[in-house]
Amino acid sequence: MALLAVNDLKCHYHMDGHTILAVDGVSFSMEPGEILGIVGESGSGKTTIALSIMRMLGHSASVSGTVSFDGIDLSTLTVADMNRLRWKEIAMVFQNSLEALNPVMTIGDQVIEPMLRHSTVPQNEVRARCADLFLMVGLDVSWMDTYPHQLSGGMRQRAMLAMALACNPRLIVLDEVTSALDAFTRKEIRELLFTLQKTHGYSMVLISHDITFVSSLASRLIVLYAGRIVESGPTHEIINDPRHPYTRGLIHATPDIFLYKDLWGIPGDSPTGEGHTGCPFNLRCTQPIDICRNTSPQLQPCGNGREIACHRGGIATLLKAEGLRFRYSLPDKKTLQAVDGVGMEVHEGEVLAVVGQTGSGKSTLAHILAGVLIPESGNVMFMNGSVHGGNQGHHVRGVQIVFQDPFSSTSSRFTVLDAVKEPLDINRIGDVEERLHMVKEALNLVRIPSTDKFLGKYCGELSGGQRQRVALARAMIMKPKLLIADEITSALDVSTAANVLRLLKGLQNRRGFAMIYISHDLSMTLKIADRIAVMHAGKIVETGNAHDVMLSPQNEYTQRLVGSRIGLCCHDHSHHEQELVLESHERSTKKPEVVPIE
Amino acid sequence: MNKNTRNTLIFRFVITLLVILSINFFLPRMMPGDPFSTTSSDVQGEDIVTMTEEQHQYFISYYGMDLPLHEQFIRYLANMAKGDFGQSIYYKIPVTSVILIHLPWTILIVFCATALSTVAGILIGTISARNRKKISDRFMMTGLIAFSEIPSFLLGIILLLIFCVWLRIFPLAGAVTPFAHYNSVLDEAGDIAHHAFLPVLTLSLAQLTGVYLLTRNTLITVSSKDYIRTAYAKGLGEKIVWTRHALRNALLPVVTRTGFMIGLMMGGAVLVETVFSYPGIGLTLRSAVVNRDYALIQGILLIIAVSILLCNLIVDQVYQRLDPRVAD
Amino acid sequence: MGLMLSGYLPIDRPAVSRFLRSVSDRTGNILSRFSTEGRIGLCGIALILMVALFAPVLSAYPPDQISGNSLEPPGQGHLLGTDELGMDIWSQICYGARMSLVIGLSVALIAGIGGGILGILAGYLGGNADQLLMRTVDILMALPSFPLLIVISAFMGPSIVNVILVLVLFSWAKPARIARSQTLAIKRNTYIIAAKNFGGTPYYILSRHILPEVLPILFVLILGITSYAIIAETGLAFLGLGDPTSKSWGMMLYYATSFKSIYFTPFWQWWLIPPLVALVTLVISLAFISRDLEQVLDPRLRRGGGL
Repeated sequence: MALLAVNDLKCHYHMDGHTILAVDGVSFSMEPGEILGIVGESGSGKTTIALSIMRMLGHSASVSGTVSFDGIDLSTLTVADMNRLRWKEIAMVFQNSLEALNPVMTIGDQVIEPMLRHSTVPQNEVRARCADLFLMVGLDVSWMDTYPHQLSGGMRQRAMLAMALACNPRLIVLDEVTSALDAFTRKEIRELLFTLQKTHGYSMVLISHDITFVSSLASRLIVLYAGRIVESGPTHEIINDPRHPYTRGLIHATPDIFLYKDLWGIPGDSPTGEGHTGCPFNLRCTQPIDICRNTSPQLQPCGNGREIACHRGGIATLLKAEGLRFRYSLPDKKTLQAVDGVGMEVHEGEVLAVVGQTGSGKSTLAHILAGVLIPESGNVMFMNGSVHGGNQGHHVRGVQIVFQDPFSSTSSRFTVLDAVKEPLDINRIGDVEERLHMVKEALNLVRIPSTDKFLGKYCGELSGGQRQRVALARAMIMKPKLLIADEITSALDVSTAANVLRLLKGLQNRRGFAMIYISHDLSMTLKIADRIAVMHAGKIVETGNAHDVMLSPQNEYTQRLVGSRIGLCCHDHSHHEQELVLESHERSTKKPEVVPIE
Repeated sequence: MNKNTRNTLIFRFVITLLVILSINFFLPRMMPGDPFSTTSSDVQGEDIVTMTEEQHQYFISYYGMDLPLHEQFIRYLANMAKGDFGQSIYYKIPVTSVILIHLPWTILIVFCATALSTVAGILIGTISARNRKKISDRFMMTGLIAFSEIPSFLLGIILLLIFCVWLRIFPLAGAVTPFAHYNSVLDEAGDIAHHAFLPVLTLSLAQLTGVYLLTRNTLITVSSKDYIRTAYAKGLGEKIVWTRHALRNALLPVVTRTGFMIGLMMGGAVLVETVFSYPGIGLTLRSAVVNRDYALIQGILLIIAVSILLCNLIVDQVYQRLDPRVAD
Repeated sequence: MGLMLSGYLPIDRPAVSRFLRSVSDRTGNILSRFSTEGRIGLCGIALILMVALFAPVLSAYPPDQISGNSLEPPGQGHLLGTDELGMDIWSQICYGARMSLVIGLSVALIAGIGGGILGILAGYLGGNADQLLMRTVDILMALPSFPLLIVISAFMGPSIVNVILVLVLFSWAKPARIARSQTLAIKRNTYIIAAKNFGGTPYYILSRHILPEVLPILFVLILGITSYAIIAETGLAFLGLGDPTSKSWGMMLYYATSFKSIYFTPFWQWWLIPPLVALVTLVISLAFISRDLEQVLDPRLRRGGGL
């Protein structure tokens, strides 16, 4: 039987006239001996859920739904019964330990207090038990007679833990216990909790916005957004393969998990809880469809013990290619199999990097995917339509491609205005004024001047970096859902390349389009890639999350590629760095050990 | 509190004491004339007593007033240290005796009033804090605030008119019924209480609102603190949470205020005692002032100042024991 | 020349009219935010002000003229009866209003503005001047004020001027301290540094930045001091230390309570009660206004911005 079962929990706060919806229909359950992690931003309702488990929401809150502990519906209990249950069966560790401890009582007294109240320990043994608890959490016994302000933050957190364990509860709820602590203390607390669960089998609910911390301990994760569960499932599955756009955004913004990637957050702000129709994540989502605005998605199972709340079933596949083959004919009657049986998927809102050496067939693949080249076999499906009529580039929200050589991707005779306006002209989109307006917008996007003077310049007068931006603007003016960037920085110097890359990633983050980024430069790729596909001799030899491919390459070729990075003269990159990061990588992606309790 | 703050406090006490002593000393001497030309029993201070020049000189030299000023001051300080406050010019007995006769009455009413206002204020404040959203609370607050603005002696007169003149429940003057014989200690205590009731009530009403507001506001602040939430989570129940956790923290500033309150009351006692003709130190000060009885004035002023300073010192020590955060 | 004059106002005049206009705007703004109690207070003050101003009109006799038999009950010709000497009580109340208001306001303005200026200067100049002021204020505030008040006023002799001077002595400390701390807080802002950088003289900074922010607070304080001064004067008069010719409400109380058989005769009903009621009304009205004013001005005060 489940230890804790929450069913359709809804909590409203009434303050000064208006109502805030903090928790909107949350249901989950947990078994004895399990560690459940609840992850979300501040304001997502995490603490409210914790407080409602203890039935400690004040009078200004109205609660509906059921919380059952050990099969008993807690709302049926009287105040006295509930008080008996509190701390004895369910205990809580709060954050901000200085404020959470009574400043005028000694630590020992505060730990002993619930023992006496719930009569779990005979009076003459309370101090001994308190000393035991202190030892268990790693605190020296002499601190029993001191006051909260005399301890450091980490020690106080341990004291709070000792206090929570005082009556040997069956369930411990930990709310943001590490947010005020430094990295060392955080690690120590993590080790402590791990040991406690392993040796004593306490069930825990870990609530935090710190995914790294939670995922290092919990066996199951629940992701909360705006008071709703958007995704749940086994921890390592969610971390390595997030299905909900929000979860993906969270994980991609956690430097501990995505070690090499630059930090990019999810654009937009969290909702204020004022109530909304439709999916709460709608405004920040990379893949909204009409229904998302009107109805709120329900949490549905999607295999492997996972659940997701999304009208599109999670992150959707944008582009799917199967069995692609392409052959070049060479002058001396020979053929070159440039693309040899390639299949791949690109998901909504992600950056897929295709990395390989010169001659591996990357550019050919890119052109096939864009619909420029027709493969001899295989097909490419883009959003339910085939790419091969080549008309995915004819309309907005389609597929666009930016090429490698800036000097040939734009005509020197064209003015900037004409160059960027070209797709609009060809497809007769908008009238003259609208086109001008759209051109200026696009130029602003790529951070080049949109003055009339600049618009009148010829492309031939511009530098390589500027021309590349013009090409980018030309692609962006069609508001693509998928942008294919074919080695666009290879012909640029380092600084210009960095600027263009950042610009590109910024655009991608803000606009939410997907991107296939072709490159031979692994280091650069790591800065922006979510997934990496390694290509060699016309085949894709390995695909996976960027950090997985980088840190634990399975394929021999990939391993050689990874090992081929040249380090600085005074550092040896290939060994030293691998050791350092491997540990944190293992920690975050390994399945945490859960000792089954009879 | 650390050594520095303690030293500053002691330093401040000493300076204040010196200032009071100096004022005490110099002020009367800066006025024209001397006490002997105004020794009269009439409150308006008419100059009706005549002395011969000889007697005048005698008195002046007896009180050391013919010495140069700085020598008088040193003599004065030395006497103070010895506890010799001199002779009351009006009552013709040592100042210390006069003070000892009247001081106990003032101490009685001030202490009772402090206790009453503190206890009542805390009680009402706690109730108010727990009911703070209700309308009745707002009325109570407004009422009490309006009430507290009325100066104590006006309140005293009103109470006097209602209870002594109109309803005739309480006596009009004095600490005890004159010429009374008591059958037992209980009777005597009852009589004293009967006379002291209205002065005590007046003094405490004047301070009640201060304690009430402080308790209420501190409790409201404290009850939103996280450790109260922790206490509830421990399943301790309303009563223990409010007493052991909330009040214990909220009462700290109230304790400080109580100490200062005693000081404030000593000042207010003058007026209240006059209204009720209660023979405490305040009434004595007033008549001493009217009679230009320098020695007595100096003595009383000193006693008042010293007792205020003592109270502050005691409050300090008590607070240190109560709040572990200010320990060395 | 004609072009210059048409529609062009020179710089100085709008400063004054701007100031007045902004004051009246702000006052209207503030008044609209008063609670019920505040408005009651305003009515009370207005009433007393009216009585004080129109005292000669409202009362039939001057207050120090013996106009009837002694201790006449209220009735013909004497709205509230007469006192021991046969002087009309109603006119004493009317003129007493003047006395209370004059004393209260003089003390408040002198102590408030004087103390305020001292505090601002001390805060702005800092250094020894500041230390000197602070020590003085500390000592002054540590003294038991009322007993000293009694002693000093006894020795200075009974006159209105002396009473006012003594009260000022004990009330200037608080405005000085508060003005100083406000000045210090304002001085810390970087816009002061910027202004100095641009070449602003101390006079400019004081008048343009500091004074406008400190003034509202002083205003609330002045109201508080008025209350205190009126009560203190009443107290002193009640003890017999006031000006016998002043005819303040306090003196009325004093004469009434010193009348030997006041409590055994019905005379207290018309001799003692009117000044009592008048005093209570005045004090409560001031208190309500003061509290409301504090609430309205407070959030701005704490934010540090001007009105």
